Amino acid sequence: MTTLIGGEMLLWSDTPVSGPALRSLISPSSGCTLVAGTHAPDLLDAVPAASLTVLVRGVPDAEALAATRPGVTVLCGSLEKLTAEPGYDTVVAFGGLDRLLSAEAEPLTWDETLALLLAVLKPGGRLLLGAENLFGLHRLVTLPSAPGDADWVIPDDHDPRRPAGHAGLLERITRAGLRIRRDYAGYPGLSSPTVLLSQEILAESALVGALEAVVATAVEPSVDVLADPVRLATGALRNGLAAELAPAWFIIADRLDASSDAAIPDAVIDSQEVGITELPRGRTLQDHLLAAAQRRDLPVMRDLLTAWQGSPTADVPASQIVVTETGGRAETGGRAGSANGLVEANGLVELIALAPVGTPLTALRAFAATAIAGGFAHLWPIPADEAELTAVLAGMTGRELAPDQVPAADPPAAHAVGDLLADRERLTRELAEANAKHAYYEKMLLHREAELKRVRQMNALLSATVPGKAATSLVGGLRAGKRAVRSVVRRTRGN
Amino acid sequence: MKFGVHHANHYYGHSHVLARYCGLDDTEPPRLHGYLQHGWNIGDGMAPDHEYVPGVAKFVWSERVRRRAWSLGRRDVYVVGAPWAYLLAMEPEPADASVRRAGTIWYPFHGWEGQHIVGDHDGLIGEIRDTETGPVTVCLYWQEFGDKRVRVRYEKAGFRVICHGYRGGWWKDLDPGFLYRQLAEQRKHSRVASNRLCSAIMYGTLAGCAPAVYGDPMQLEGERSAFGGQGRIVREWADLHGAEVDVEVARGIAVAELGADRLLPPAELRRLFQWPSLRADPDVELTGVLTR
Repeated sequence: MTTLIGGEMLLWSDTPVSGPALRSLISPSSGCTLVAGTHAPDLLDAVPAASLTVLVRGVPDAEALAATRPGVTVLCGSLEKLTAEPGYDTVVAFGGLDRLLSAEAEPLTWDETLALLLAVLKPGGRLLLGAENLFGLHRLVTLPSAPGDADWVIPDDHDPRRPAGHAGLLERITRAGLRIRRDYAGYPGLSSPTVLLSQEILAESALVGALEAVVATAVEPSVDVLADPVRLATGALRNGLAAELAPAWFIIADRLDASSDAAIPDAVIDSQEVGITELPRGRTLQDHLLAAAQRRDLPVMRDLLTAWQGSPTADVPASQIVVTETGGRAETGGRAGSANGLVEANGLVELIALAPVGTPLTALRAFAATAIAGGFAHLWPIPADEAELTAVLAGMTGRELAPDQVPAADPPAAHAVGDLLADRERLTRELAEANAKHAYYEKMLLHREAELKRVRQMNALLSATVPGKAATSLVGGLRAGKRAVRSVVRRTRGN
Repeated sequence: MKFGVHHANHYYGHSHVLARYCGLDDTEPPRLHGYLQHGWNIGDGMAPDHEYVPGVAKFVWSERVRRRAWSLGRRDVYVVGAPWAYLLAMEPEPADASVRRAGTIWYPFHGWEGQHIVGDHDGLIGEIRDTETGPVTVCLYWQEFGDKRVRVRYEKAGFRVICHGYRGGWWKDLDPGFLYRQLAEQRKHSRVASNRLCSAIMYGTLAGCAPAVYGDPMQLEGERSAFGGQGRIVREWADLHGAEVDVEVARGIAVAELGADRLLPPAELRRLFQWPSLRADPDVELTGVLTR
């Protein structure tokens, strides 16, 4: 059943907030629940239909919901038309506050919109809220684009009435009379996060390797960007800025008089709830390798590469391997590889794989690509080509490999403009160097030709002298003799 | 002889030693794509009189030289270690060899082709006599060895006078046996000495001799003090100067200066030098050397 509450948009449909990761945050015992904004069906399934009310602003969305979910109360319209009665134990708005008012409504401030949501929350109730980080890494790397249909008002960071930054958001929610139970950094974005990391797990510095690995996978770009978001996101993690630069935040906040009940996960990674003790502790292998590269410590790099490529984790990308110290390994179900070669060098003993496997050569090639994109290609005196560098890296482990044996890489899904500029610089330099080399070889060739000419002239002169002629006839005589002996031998064999 | 990127790569049979380490034919070393440091060096590892092509790799002996070369604006610099260190890895000293070592191998500082030293050989001979207690072998550069006046002067002093061979140049008069002869000679002696810190002292120290640097350093005619010259050498490598030095400290310095602690696997060297691969016959990989 659909109830039009006013302000509904007749020809409008919102992209639903999706992501199984968010489902872990919705407790099945959430009581009478209002889901505000368009959410994917699997999120709605987390709440029993009888106690679920959904508010959407587009009529097509409301009709689709009513058709597929007979037991659910579907409201269609703009948030400010909702009856301000505290009727819900839980209010869910993972899509944020900017998708709750329709085009028919007067724009309200962020605080006013939040107040509307809180007005329907019972005492002791719980708010599940998503918010886009307007200074998130996704915005830092995005290319300029024209405003879309949803941007009749653009939520932007110039608005002083909007909470700025992570701390600002928490402060504003607290000021509204709520207590923050948990807040998560969400990747890769607000609309379909796959990874949620709580403040508690981000504060654990020993987990940086495992977190870098999951965030790197989550923010892999699918469209062209200004700069590689993977480098930015993993760098933010290492520098303790993950929450500040996360693309989105998800907050679980209770009314002050609420009693805490169900457990809330420390993190959600690929729809799996993960406890703080379940992740391996240590830095990624890639981090160790790049640190050695920055120190120009190629012997350590050789040790690390050899240990990796000689272990059962050889086929896992270096960015998806956590190097743990003895006893630092938790039960992850991942594959662990012994890396005894590292014991003496660094006191590191185990490589724990977090991601699905490929082949050793694709894993090595992926590291070569990272090294080139990260600006480390100059460490090796070869053209900065992935296949060439892969062959040298294999050589560093003692393995014989020619560049043509390296499997071709898949065409990249997206390019980073910064990397393209760096590539152009590099290619320009390599071309200039190739020209200089060409000129040098040309000069060398002329030098050798002149020498050859001189030797030939000398040869001709010497041949014309009496001893030279004698030598020539001697050689000629010997050849004739050899021919004669051969023909005799042939004839003898023939008989 | 095929020509390399630079003829200096074949000096003293350096590329021959590396070719052997890489499991390749060491009588005909392939073209080495890059410049190879061919002597111990207080500058950027490269000889000042060579012409360098941009983008061509420079292979140096030690990390310290690499850092210095980078600071001097050199790029494409890669540490491979000295050919001498590879030679020693391939030719380990027999276990009982130290018993047979005796006396000092002495390298009077020499000039190169076209250079002439200004110095007093007799004064140097006196200092050697005063310092060395065992038998002395004087090793002269081929130029001085060929100069009868110089050679006879050392012989008259009662020293054994030898020459390791030609350096070679422009792919002529190359001497692939140079380093082998030098190693065999050094292993007969318990001390290595010179009037200037030089490659031979580093080599000898790595080969198990106790080093000493003393006596008149003999200036070259019109010598330019590139990279701080003799004064800087004495300041920076003070631990190697004197008639008696701390052998353990000296060994550590020689290992670092010759990159003996960071030899590359043959497969990596072949890729960097753009030498042929051995993948057709994996058994050829058996160079008798384990780098790790």
